[in-house]
Amino acid sequence: MVQIPGGAQKAVFSAMHQTDGEVVIKVFQPGTDAETVSREILAVQNINSARIPRIFETGTVPTPAGDCAWVREQRISGESLHSRLQRAGPLSKDEVLKLAHQLAATLRDAEAAKIVHRDIKPENIMVDSTGDFWLVDFGIARHLTMRSLTADARIFGKFTPGYAPPEQARNVKGQIDSRADMFAFALTLIEAATGVHPFWDGAKDAMEALTRSETQPIPRQLLPVKSAESLADLLDTMTKKRRDQRCRNMQEVLDWIEDIVTEEQKP
Amino acid sequence: MEVVLYDGAFLRERDWTRYARWSNSLMRLHLQFGFGMMEHSKELVKDWRGGQVILSPRDLTDDQLDRLASSIRSLAGGSVLLDPQFYLPHADHDRLREHEYWPATYSTGSFFGGPALSTLIGQLTLLNGRLQTRGFILPGLHADRVTSEWLETQRLVLEEARAQAGDRPLFQTIALSDVASRNTADITSLIEHCADNVADGYYVVVEHPGGDYLVDDPNWLANIVDLCAAFKLQGSSVILGYCNQQMLIAALAKVDAVASGTWMNVRSFPPEKFKAATEDDMKQRATWYYCPQTMSEYKVPFLDIAQRQGLLQDMYPLTPIVLPKIEDLFAGGQPSTIGLTEQVAFRHYLHCLRAQAAAMHQSTFDATADEYRLLLDNAESLIARLNRVGVRGQMRDFARVIDSNRAAVEVLIADRGPILRRRWGSL
Repeated sequence: MVQIPGGAQKAVFSAMHQTDGEVVIKVFQPGTDAETVSREILAVQNINSARIPRIFETGTVPTPAGDCAWVREQRISGESLHSRLQRAGPLSKDEVLKLAHQLAATLRDAEAAKIVHRDIKPENIMVDSTGDFWLVDFGIARHLTMRSLTADARIFGKFTPGYAPPEQARNVKGQIDSRADMFAFALTLIEAATGVHPFWDGAKDAMEALTRSETQPIPRQLLPVKSAESLADLLDTMTKKRRDQRCRNMQEVLDWIEDIVTEEQKP
Repeated sequence: MEVVLYDGAFLRERDWTRYARWSNSLMRLHLQFGFGMMEHSKELVKDWRGGQVILSPRDLTDDQLDRLASSIRSLAGGSVLLDPQFYLPHADHDRLREHEYWPATYSTGSFFGGPALSTLIGQLTLLNGRLQTRGFILPGLHADRVTSEWLETQRLVLEEARAQAGDRPLFQTIALSDVASRNTADITSLIEHCADNVADGYYVVVEHPGGDYLVDDPNWLANIVDLCAAFKLQGSSVILGYCNQQMLIAALAKVDAVASGTWMNVRSFPPEKFKAATEDDMKQRATWYYCPQTMSEYKVPFLDIAQRQGLLQDMYPLTPIVLPKIEDLFAGGQPSTIGLTEQVAFRHYLHCLRAQAAAMHQSTFDATADEYRLLLDNAESLIARLNRVGVRGQMRDFARVIDSNRAAVEVLIADRGPILRRRWGSL
């Protein structure tokens, strides 16, 4: 087992399993809320999607500091989209369209399972060795059919500034649905395509990025694809401050992206 | 230029070819029934070879409802809807109370949570069946503000109607005060509510701020257009009731129909009309000529001025149907000597509005927006020329609201342009 970078609440190891092949083992710190861990596991198990690493096994292990929950899941060999952008700059046109299509399909599947990821950003997307994109880290996912685990009265919810839509940042629980992921998805796409995050670019701190995300429209994004205007329209729609002005659901986003991809593939 | 006799009116074949583009996607004009509209309704539906009349129980007895509905339905393409006008039930308007469906007693607190609502929907289901309406406009309270209580009454009405109304399409009434309709947060919360409680269609009636006929409040207008667009994007039909020419802008939201009528109190929504049982104050007043190119109305003496200043011909209605008496205004004599009656002026207004509504929807959202902008630009230009020589529409002059309309267009484009652009063909 080799330790690899993990999150604040867990240690992550890579390993080889005799039947499942390359796996990662996530060991949560003692004292991590069991319900939170179980929700994260449940989110992954409930979403029937090709681009979310599979969970093979879960359990707990006693330690002197208390029980530690662990998860053994499929390992995606590659790097995060964040690392990829840092290392090699913006994605190519074909890569952007692939990211758009694969992530839209994954989020459509999450929507069908009534799960909102709530933290779509380049750090939580893995690019594997074949160039496919995987959605990871359901640590703050929201199950729309289950009671919320975070306090309703908090002024701010769990979110990453600049990616989360206003309703999520402001912790308006009743308004958080797949359209929250839609907002963050669009910003991730823009960042992947241009290397620039519209709300973080030039912002002096997270508060400014947050304020911009709540008040400013994104600049029109004319990317070098055949359906540039249509893609710009889509990104504009996905990032509306009011969720009722975004696409109705992820299927609508996926259909739109498929039209753009189809147009691109025409000779 | 060919002139063809057309059911008592003259149909002009003009080079304004877009009027020939009748299709299923056009924005229709429904007739908003009001005082003195019995004959107008029948004649107009006949002239148009079809049309829908929104019946008004406030202005018709039960017996008259039956007879008028039957007459309209007997005309080719004629159909009716019934507006139950349950906006202010506590006001107990005398003529509304006479209808069988109207509850004997009303208290908001108990009405919607008990059997009284069920009885009301049951009675209206029967009445709609008897009148053979094309859809069921549901009773809806006039909302001073969009509150959770009001939204709950809307939900209960829709739920009850779904249980009772059978196959007839359900149109939920959205009746908003000027305050609610100016408040963007209210509109947003209404849209959110309706996204979770989608009706087949919406019948939207909105009070004008300050009771103004033409409204110079861009936010009010932007909110209404936004609301209508949201309903359409949710997959529902939209009828915008109590409209005048300012609501041609609703075409940008792909609204299915606007409804208008003769007097001003059916061209803008006046809630007080459903309060006291006062008689309609319809005594003879000035007769107004509607000039579709300027979207303004002018008292006939101002047509005299236009004639003296050499601009009268620019006010000739460029619409398919031009009534003989309207032709006479432009035949060379002094317009005020022609004897233009209110009745002809009303009918002319509705012919024009119908033609303008039908011409608004283009094959794409952008083309429709361009068309509307052009309409505003052309109106502004002609109004300026008319104003310079003293021809003014006074309180019915569109000049003072043009910028509000322009602002509302730009807000819609910014807020919903991309999604309307994409889904235009399927709305």
